[in-house]
Amino acid sequence: MNDTAQLPVLVVGAGVAGLTAALEMAETGHHVVLAEREPVIGGRVARFHRYFPKLCPPTCGLEINARRLEENPRIELRLQTTVTGAQPVDGHWSVTLETAPVHVTGRCTACGLCTEVCPATVSDRLNWGLAEAPAIRRPFPNAWPQRFVLEREACPEGCRACVDACPYDAIDLKAGPGVEEMEVASVVVATGWRPYPLEKLPELGGGVLEGVVSNVQMERLAAPDGPTGGRILIPGTDREPRSVAFVQCAGSRDVNHLPYCSGVCCLASLKQALYVKEQLPECDVSLYYIDRRTPGRNEDFLTRVAGTQGVRLVKGKVGKVERNGDGLELTVEDAEAGKLLHEHADLVVLATGMMPETGDPFGLPRDEDGFAVSDPRRGLAVAGVAHRPADVAASVRDATGAAARALAAAGRRS
Amino acid sequence: MASLSLITPSPEIRDELHRRGGDTARRCFQCATCSAVCSLAPDDQPFPRRQMLMAQWGQIDRLAADPAVWLCHQCNDCTVRCPRNARPGDVLQAVRSMVIEGLAAPAWLGRLVGKARSTWPLLLGAPILFWVVLLGLTGHLAWPAHVTAFEQVVPHVLIYSVFLPVAAWVLAVVFIEGGRFWAFLGSSSPPRRGSFFGALLPVLGEIGTHRRFARCEAARPRRTGHFLLMWGFVGAAVTSGLLVVALYGFGMEMPLPLGHPFKILGNLSAIALVVGVVLLVVERWSQPRVSGATTAFDTFFLTVVFLVVATGVLSEVARLTLPGQVAGGVYVAHLSFVLTLFLSFPYSKFAHALYRTLAMTHERMTAAE
Repeated sequence: MNDTAQLPVLVVGAGVAGLTAALEMAETGHHVVLAEREPVIGGRVARFHRYFPKLCPPTCGLEINARRLEENPRIELRLQTTVTGAQPVDGHWSVTLETAPVHVTGRCTACGLCTEVCPATVSDRLNWGLAEAPAIRRPFPNAWPQRFVLEREACPEGCRACVDACPYDAIDLKAGPGVEEMEVASVVVATGWRPYPLEKLPELGGGVLEGVVSNVQMERLAAPDGPTGGRILIPGTDREPRSVAFVQCAGSRDVNHLPYCSGVCCLASLKQALYVKEQLPECDVSLYYIDRRTPGRNEDFLTRVAGTQGVRLVKGKVGKVERNGDGLELTVEDAEAGKLLHEHADLVVLATGMMPETGDPFGLPRDEDGFAVSDPRRGLAVAGVAHRPADVAASVRDATGAAARALAAAGRRS
Repeated sequence: MASLSLITPSPEIRDELHRRGGDTARRCFQCATCSAVCSLAPDDQPFPRRQMLMAQWGQIDRLAADPAVWLCHQCNDCTVRCPRNARPGDVLQAVRSMVIEGLAAPAWLGRLVGKARSTWPLLLGAPILFWVVLLGLTGHLAWPAHVTAFEQVVPHVLIYSVFLPVAAWVLAVVFIEGGRFWAFLGSSSPPRRGSFFGALLPVLGEIGTHRRFARCEAARPRRTGHFLLMWGFVGAAVTSGLLVVALYGFGMEMPLPLGHPFKILGNLSAIALVVGVVLLVVERWSQPRVSGATTAFDTFFLTVVFLVVATGVLSEVARLTLPGQVAGGVYVAHLSFVLTLFLSFPYSKFAHALYRTLAMTHERMTAAE
């Protein structure tokens, strides 16, 4: 449609929404620059164990997208890159892209010799702080691209162990940052979300009690490439939980926290209840909710999980989580029975919601909850959870729409 | 499904609750956070989630018969944690004010005090007028330049011939109202066991120590002020009783010397009252979030207590330092505010002393073994 347009379209964020938008635009023949802050693509989705409702692993979708990306010459992927400035110029945008130092170059074959000799450890962001990792490492087994990353700040003074160990001369300790100015026709903002911080929920044990984790941490506990090799264990111990409690709306639909419903946490917890029951059939699972929000055909998934032996759904929001002996105690009213419960659990999962990422050089309008709103007259389209809370399937659909809006704006303005 | 019953919502009562500061009830979405964070809610009958629902439906009859309305001490832990800012603490306070008015005997006095927002000049002014007229008619308005004893302003016999019948009247009203409330409570709860006084005694112990109040989190600072105020009132009442006995039983001369044990007890009570009321007012002003909404129900009560305490202390000081006309005026004002306090007791926020005590006694008598 628009092979003649001279300027590329910029996509910010290579999570599932940004990837989708970039691929759809590139496959219509447009040139796309895809900027990603992290050294890998896939964003939050790459950190999931499985998707609901079909419970397939995220590599299913991401592998196909990685392949589409590799095969498409019209997409220029910039990893470790953030957009630090943006100026409207003559109906398009002039943007500043800053790339963090790339210490491991394209010569890396992911052999792993560097990791074996690395003396420094860092808190593993991928695993939401549940584990430590060597400063130089493969981000995760199914990472794309398969290139190691080095967290240079963690290096001991004068250490060159990885450089000496690398047979391919792929490590450059002196690499510096790169800055580039670029003109783009229009922009898709797909900067996604971060989980509501556990530390803001101390009354539910968040950030205070070791056996209390967030739903995103639970994904890592269940994932085969996670800190426990996929075994669901009580953090800080090597014990399997005999009881797991899911606390819905932890910091959501709450004027003291996030006022809105993220729309995915009910299904995420139901899915995670199945992770537990698959691995630990004897484990008691309870899910405490205000409402069970499983719209559309997801209702079937709810029915399936609710019918699983040893899974209990209780109407009532948990008020307190406290330590009790070597376990945890939840205080909650069973609102249907009208009785207060003091329930024991070995592992408590707080179903925290999604917050839009902030930091936006384009000055996008925001809705009352802080999510970005598309501004087509300025050539700005928002995709995925940056736009509104959504599950993976809805993010992908949203991204397709955003791609169409960005192309329309590019055609109109170039 | 035999327990299904038809619930008729009452928009009028719901609106009345709204006017009394319970308008936030409409925000409640029944998540039950409030019941779970309440330190006072019993496991088998948790509150205030159910009461919020009744408030939304305007079911004042069920609320009037519900001990939970009074077992609530308005800690406001629920209000602080409520995800909808529905302020259950304020809603229950509004319910309590409505129940007090609903149980009032006679009903018109309940309405008069219940509408203190507009009737306060009458409630405060009528007793003043009453004293002035009474003193005028009995020829006691010519006060000496220096008052050495308040006997010179208002003779004791006049005081007691007013306050003893008033006290008897208030006591009768308390019995009627308490009886009504007790019957309501009994109608909706499991049967009571054991003796009333056997249950009342430990309840009085609990109230005396404010043990339950201590379980509050958000409103715990209010406990000190309330504790002092309550014991100040008890001390003042005991002192007054002792003085009647001393005056008429033993013919003691008033005023008593400052070192007399009765005088010391009275002054200690006054200090407790002053500190208590100041703490409560300061807390209410400085911590509106945890103190709850301030309505005429609260303001009228606190104002009367403050006026009684302030004029009481002031008259003691004025008698020793100020001209007789001023001291006499302050003293008459004090007697007037005490009269307002007495007469409004069964209809104002003060009545919580009656209803909460009964509810706690009822709770003890219906508790599972």
